[in-house]
Amino acid sequence: MLTLALRHLLAKKLRTALTVLGFGVCVNLYIVVTTVMRFITDDLDRQVQRFTGILFVQSRGLEGMSGIEWPPISSTIPDGDAQGVLGLAAVDRERSTAVSLAALAPPPFPTAPPEALLVGIEPGREHVFLAGAGAIVGRADFAGQAPDAQCPPAVLGVLAARHFASVASQTVEFPSPVGPIALAAVGSRVPVRGCEFEVQGVIEPETNQLLRSAVMVPLDCARGILRQPDAVTALMLSPTRASEIDSLQREIETAHPSLMVISDRQLAQNARQLLDRVNQLFSVVRWTSVAVAALLIAIVMFVSVLERTRELGTLRAIGASARALVAMILCESAGIAVSGSCVGVPLSRVVIREALGPDAAGIRSRRIEWSAAGILTAFGVLASLLPAGRAVGVDPIVALRYE
Amino acid sequence: MSEPENRERQPLLSARNLARVYRVGAQSIDALRGIDLDIHQGDFIAIAGPSGSGKSTLLHLLGLIDSPTAGELRVRGRAAQSLGVERRASLRLRTLGFVFQAFNLLQMLTARQNVEIALALAGVGRNERRARAQTLLEAVGLGRRLNHRPAQLSGGERQRVAIARALANQPDVVLADEPTGNLDSQTGREIVDLLEQLNAAGQTIVMVTHNLEIAHRARRLFLMRDGQIEEVEPAALDDG
Repeated sequence: MLTLALRHLLAKKLRTALTVLGFGVCVNLYIVVTTVMRFITDDLDRQVQRFTGILFVQSRGLEGMSGIEWPPISSTIPDGDAQGVLGLAAVDRERSTAVSLAALAPPPFPTAPPEALLVGIEPGREHVFLAGAGAIVGRADFAGQAPDAQCPPAVLGVLAARHFASVASQTVEFPSPVGPIALAAVGSRVPVRGCEFEVQGVIEPETNQLLRSAVMVPLDCARGILRQPDAVTALMLSPTRASEIDSLQREIETAHPSLMVISDRQLAQNARQLLDRVNQLFSVVRWTSVAVAALLIAIVMFVSVLERTRELGTLRAIGASARALVAMILCESAGIAVSGSCVGVPLSRVVIREALGPDAAGIRSRRIEWSAAGILTAFGVLASLLPAGRAVGVDPIVALRYE
Repeated sequence: MSEPENRERQPLLSARNLARVYRVGAQSIDALRGIDLDIHQGDFIAIAGPSGSGKSTLLHLLGLIDSPTAGELRVRGRAAQSLGVERRASLRLRTLGFVFQAFNLLQMLTARQNVEIALALAGVGRNERRARAQTLLEAVGLGRRLNHRPAQLSGGERQRVAIARALANQPDVVLADEPTGNLDSQTGREIVDLLEQLNAAGQTIVMVTHNLEIAHRARRLFLMRDGQIEEVEPAALDDG
């Protein structure tokens, strides 16, 4: 019966090929969506973990449908308020900084920060934003620049370095798991909104999307670019003692009603809310791909059974059991599903690599690939039980009817 | 075994007062009325009659493909009406062999695979079924056509493949429905020659045909008319 199932698949080559391709596209979609879901979840987790113990201060009125705006690009804090907060006794000034933020490129995928994000930091406070991240090349601070340098310094995240490679005065090939990628070289100049910066270093990529996309420049330069000489976007604060974080939050909000203070717990909660909504949407896409794959197989097998009424009747007449006919139909659908998975898995690797670039290799998961192939194959084979039932119900007398 | 000795033994298939009524809307059509028939080991029976006389319907009942509306059918003494669908399929597989007018071979399989499929359904192992399929096809004169598909075979060759398939599981009875109906007269005669040879070797055969010349070759002859059956001496046909 296995031979017969195989022959049927080969007898209708074009139909089989198109069905396999369609199934493969569904497998691909399932893998890509699941991988991106996992990537976003992991990245937000990493962002939250990296900023543990830090308070973010931003202007009120930025809570929208998607919760707190993150990163708070739309926030504006007047210098007076910013200095007042940074001057509080409970603020560890060495581990706190004012920041100016602006999107320089659109986000690569939903919930992600912009692909290039201008981050103005007070010189000497780079470590507050980097939270322990180092550089893969050059330095991760502004201190290494020569006094006679003509351009202000910039430290780039790996995505930003790739983004600016096309306009940088020099580039360097950097090995990545998906092959060499061109990055703006250390010492090269990159134009940012009409102002040239000298690249001091590239931040290590194993951090999170916020750091990978950062174009970290001195705060005053960022304020100049953004034409906000009297304001900053947000504040990143560390309390003098970790136990004072809640009292510091209350103190700021009492003294500055126009400001909102977000703790790492609130950031995590916000991330979870955001993820829940995104995951709901992705789950719909994911289960739609499963349903389409199952329907595809059910329809094709139904057509096949209808076309083979005479053959199925003959088999029934010569003594084929219901189990044998069901096994034959299930073998055919399993053949389509397994072949489709063999198409879908490599296709998903290409799509993920194209969509996520250098991040792709790190997030590709064999477990996701196997589970996608398994789930879609299981649903595809289950869906073919319906046409298999129809095959079993064929009246063998039709086989004896002369045509 | 002599004819009287054969008669004393339990029949392979036994029909008593068998009836089949088809309902088309409010109308009832009596396709078979009170058929009595015993088929013994070694019989070569021809059932002849005009179109619509009920001979194919009778073959379907004898082959457990259809169920009678009244009467009793026994296979080796066991009542067949009470059997479930799957048990009947199993009986068809192991005790009955079918030869169809339109051959009903599976087009995408070779001659050998068409024979093998019956063996595979019976759970015969791969090597054994390959060997048995080859032996059967050689026995029906197709030793050189094992790997040809039905479309590459003549009508007579296709019917030989169908006969080999029918014999695959060494059935008690081969039921042939107009086995020469799609063949020219010369090829038809060759197929009946083959059936005769099989019968001479001990195979029980029941053949339905509207061709009296073919029917005449059987050892027992039944005529059907309006759903009723009557056994006649083959010589009676010669007398007109």
